[in-house]
Amino acid sequence: MPSPRPLSVIVPVRNGNATLARALTAILASELPRDDYELIVVDDASSDGSPELAARYADTVVRLTGRRAGPAYARNRGAELALGEVLVFVDADVMVRPETLPMMLKLLFDHAGLDAMSVSHDQAAAAQNLASQYWNLLVHYGEQTRAGTGGNVASPCAAIRRQVFLSAGMYDEWRFERAALEGIEFGRRLEDSGREVRSTRDLEITALKQWDVRSLCGEVWDRSVLLTRSLGYQRTHVAVPSEAVFTLSRAMAPAFAALCVVAFSAAVLPPANVPVKLAIVLVGAIALNFPAHRFFAKARGIPFAIAVAPLHLLMQAVSALGLCAGWVMRDAVGDREPDAATQAYAEVGVETWPPVPRTSGR
Amino acid sequence: MVPVSIENIASSGSASQAHALADTIVPEEPGVKNQALSGPGSEPLRQPAVTRRTPRISLIVVLPENHVVSPDRLAQGLRAHGNGDIDVVVACAGQPANLSALQRSVGDAQFLLAPAGTSTEDLRELAMRQAPGDIVTLLSGALLPATAMDAELFMTS
Repeated sequence: MPSPRPLSVIVPVRNGNATLARALTAILASELPRDDYELIVVDDASSDGSPELAARYADTVVRLTGRRAGPAYARNRGAELALGEVLVFVDADVMVRPETLPMMLKLLFDHAGLDAMSVSHDQAAAAQNLASQYWNLLVHYGEQTRAGTGGNVASPCAAIRRQVFLSAGMYDEWRFERAALEGIEFGRRLEDSGREVRSTRDLEITALKQWDVRSLCGEVWDRSVLLTRSLGYQRTHVAVPSEAVFTLSRAMAPAFAALCVVAFSAAVLPPANVPVKLAIVLVGAIALNFPAHRFFAKARGIPFAIAVAPLHLLMQAVSALGLCAGWVMRDAVGDREPDAATQAYAEVGVETWPPVPRTSGR
Repeated sequence: MVPVSIENIASSGSASQAHALADTIVPEEPGVKNQALSGPGSEPLRQPAVTRRTPRISLIVVLPENHVVSPDRLAQGLRAHGNGDIDVVVACAGQPANLSALQRSVGDAQFLLAPAGTSTEDLRELAMRQAPGDIVTLLSGALLPATAMDAELFMTS
């Protein structure tokens, strides 16, 4: 048997050709001896040649065939193969810094009571378009302002002791097929069992993914629906301070106030002054979301803060609708579950490759 | 059993060259009819989706120019996956120094011979296209020892 290495880096990927090479190159550029870690890439049924690209850099490539299984499932398959004492999950669309991995390893080795930790996004997203810069800053804002305890053991880069990961039942691959909230559920499960999970603002990664308004709306919608449908908003809120949806939904009351501003302006101004009404709404929204916009202005300047104000308002609206839809779905159709065939396979205990999603996470 | 060598192919470190190389390199697999690889625009060679109980394992040994892997290390790599069936793919840039020793230790391996100078990354990508496994482990060779005696020991031990 090969000698165990202290660290196993696991990268789940699905159709990640656009960013995978940069992500893996950054991992290999870590200030960590190459013999100290193994690099495992788990391909989630990609159709763009991601496994072949991953083979240029990785020690092990796992090819999952069939239909998309999700990042939780992919990470679990990687963890099952890993030999390292510590597992680090790195998304295929982020770049770690040279010091990120060794520092995570050092923190876990120096603090025996610390079981898992996650790092935060830096301010500079690789993609330069407004939507990408906005989303990256929003996530960064949430992570930086509420760093400390609070479990999110997944995106974009998180480390956990292998034994803790396995004994806690790994990620919930049963319910979290798409959205990126499996780390929130897992972090909460760890904390409920007395494990210490910490997010740090001192270690950062750079996001590579390019967003547009449509994909942002989809992301916020998915997260919001899943939060209320599968996790339960109130139970999750305290445990997950860095989740972007909370950064949005915290300002739901001000957003409601902004709607009041619209109503008020519509009542008192003549119909012809539409630009004035819009200006009032914009100013009102910025004023009511002042902490976030002050952060945006400080990071990118006042023009940027003004430019993203409508986008922020749109995300808040999408988030509010998604949270409400999640509640309704939770009551009307229940929690998310795999399709009937998968459930039947799981119940019978059919042994196959790739394995049938497991329910051990719950 | 002489692996097919490919000449007149410019080697390069770029990823795109791997596709060009895959167009022309012919793998040799003892006991199996030689099979031309697919072109650059086509899908990598993969088995059709067949339900299996356990994952298929592949071991890729990557040997850039002047690199070798000792049969012992190869055996260690095979043992790491237990006693199950493992598909071994040996991807070499040029003629590896200890080819015969490798063939003795893993007789049913598939040997891919790329032109001398082909980069490690290109070899890995080429081999990955040929490896049928669900779980593919990549093992890199070591630089050929400088002295003849060391090299002899390394290659045959």
